[in-house]
Amino acid sequence: MEFKLEAHRIVSISLGKIYSARGQRGGLKLHKNLLVSLVLRSARQVYLSEPGCPPEPPPAAAAGHPEEEQPPPRSAAWAAEEPPPPPPGEQEDMETGNVASLISIFGSSFSGLLSKEPKGRRRPPLDGGEAAAGTAPAEAAAEPGQICCDEPVLRTLNPWSTAIVAF
Amino acid sequence: MEGERICEVDSGDGLGADIISTVEFNHTGELLATGDKGGRVVIFQREPESKNEPYNQGEYNVYSTFQSHEPEFDYLKSLEIEEKINKIKWLPQQNAAHSLLSTNDKTIKLWKITERDKRPEGYNLKDEEGKLKDLSTVTSLQVPVLKPMDLMVEVTPRRIFANGHTYHVNSISVNSDCETYMSADDLRINLWHLAITDRSFNIVDIKPANMEDLTEVITASEFHPHHCNLFVYSSSKGSLRLCDMRASALCDKHSKLYEEPEDPSNRSFFSEIISSVSDVKFSHSGRYMLTRDYLTVKVWDLNMETKPVETYQVHDYLRSKLCSLYENDCIFDKFECAWNGSDSVIMTGAYNNFFRMFDRNTKRDVTLEASRESSKPRAILKPRRVCVGGKRRKDDISVDSLDFTKKILHTAWHPTENIIAIAATNNLYIFQDKVNSEMH
Repeated sequence: MEFKLEAHRIVSISLGKIYSARGQRGGLKLHKNLLVSLVLRSARQVYLSEPGCPPEPPPAAAAGHPEEEQPPPRSAAWAAEEPPPPPPGEQEDMETGNVASLISIFGSSFSGLLSKEPKGRRRPPLDGGEAAAGTAPAEAAAEPGQICCDEPVLRTLNPWSTAIVAF
Repeated sequence: MEGERICEVDSGDGLGADIISTVEFNHTGELLATGDKGGRVVIFQREPESKNEPYNQGEYNVYSTFQSHEPEFDYLKSLEIEEKINKIKWLPQQNAAHSLLSTNDKTIKLWKITERDKRPEGYNLKDEEGKLKDLSTVTSLQVPVLKPMDLMVEVTPRRIFANGHTYHVNSISVNSDCETYMSADDLRINLWHLAITDRSFNIVDIKPANMEDLTEVITASEFHPHHCNLFVYSSSKGSLRLCDMRASALCDKHSKLYEEPEDPSNRSFFSEIISSVSDVKFSHSGRYMLTRDYLTVKVWDLNMETKPVETYQVHDYLRSKLCSLYENDCIFDKFECAWNGSDSVIMTGAYNNFFRMFDRNTKRDVTLEASRESSKPRAILKPRRVCVGGKRRKDDISVDSLDFTKKILHTAWHPTENIIAIAATNNLYIFQDKVNSEMH
């Protein structure tokens, strides 16, 4: 359980770092962001794989947003996309908690930060998450500060790829 | 090692532009170049020994200051390119002038440093101020003569090697052939000829076809000191690759891979970060390589790829604090390492303005501090100790009171003498071991 809490904390810190890297002078540092995404992936794997998670949603991330509940239909859609499921309730709790944090970081324009889904991105979310984690620095290195989207795709994307691609 | 502080330079505008980002002695040790975050290069020159003032022997004074790089803007990517000088490398001196390469994230420049201590006087058509003379006053012909003048140091940019790198340049290295040099960024290494700026050869490319498959980046690279066909590059996964340019034009396939298997008992979320190599240096002999990762320095024998021959703990007491160091970004600090001239001692920096030296022969190590408080001029450096619980001696520092904002990332050792240059944020310290001036 402690590992899970620590893992969640590390996930939040890592997301915060990727976020703040966007505005850094000199452009995205590929090396640092690669390392952060590797830590993010390890922490996420620990979080998802550890048995016996706490029933209540994990504490909200650095932004300190109090919202921890999302409208059920939305979280159900995400839960359905997650493959090897931890118990669905637990999965939803983690997803909603983190997405709430992400939304609070980005504000209401979150969906506007998503890119068009390129071919091959829609894979089983576990792979997608890992691959997307590696994409984060790459995406940004290739096209920093640009990504926009025609329509809201938040509902249909795995939240991890959502979060990373947004950067 | 005992030492005494020779000089401290501090421009002190407090804006961060004078944070030293690189330090490098030239091949004789007569000159010492520093680069800073504001794109400036300051060169120090050692005063020649004089019988009249024996205590001034060996002092380094400012020789020249110039603006090497300016901030630029990449309009295509909407990115600012920092002017911070990442590396300086001196070229071997071939005539009266000195030359060095300086680089920021994108552009490498070759600078020529010349001295002028005479000027011609007695022109026929111009007066002393350069104004044209009234021709009617010129009644005889004179030959201009060279008269001594106050020494003037002139620095001119001779070459600009631009547009070679998509990613951030982390290292440059001059080949022993004195004609070529290489520059490395996160994913690629280019080979340049010193006289040709409009093209370079790509000799290493580790960019994957699909960037989603990216797992490691290049962190440092260096040419072998004697074999002009060999170079090494280090990766963020902790491995070293020795490449031979005679084997093929594109050196993606290494000749030798140096990698130590990970200790499973030390596994944590941060294992990958702390194994990333931040610096690699060949020994002067060319037989060994020195690497620095977050917690250790390692000596590798070129003939043994399976593990380093020596490992030294720099600050192992930080191993239990990696999560906090991740949070405050300190875990990403890139420390450099250095050999002394005889390859018997290695040096690297740490936190709290501490730096560490390891004697490879006696296996003794020492921690010293570079600070104003503890180093008055001519003072002897006192060894410091970090206590990790247990018996605490007077003057020990506890791990929790270390100042992580005071980090010594850049250090340099004189090529032949026991003189070291330590960059502590925006201060430069030069220490000399008067007792053991000769290297052994």
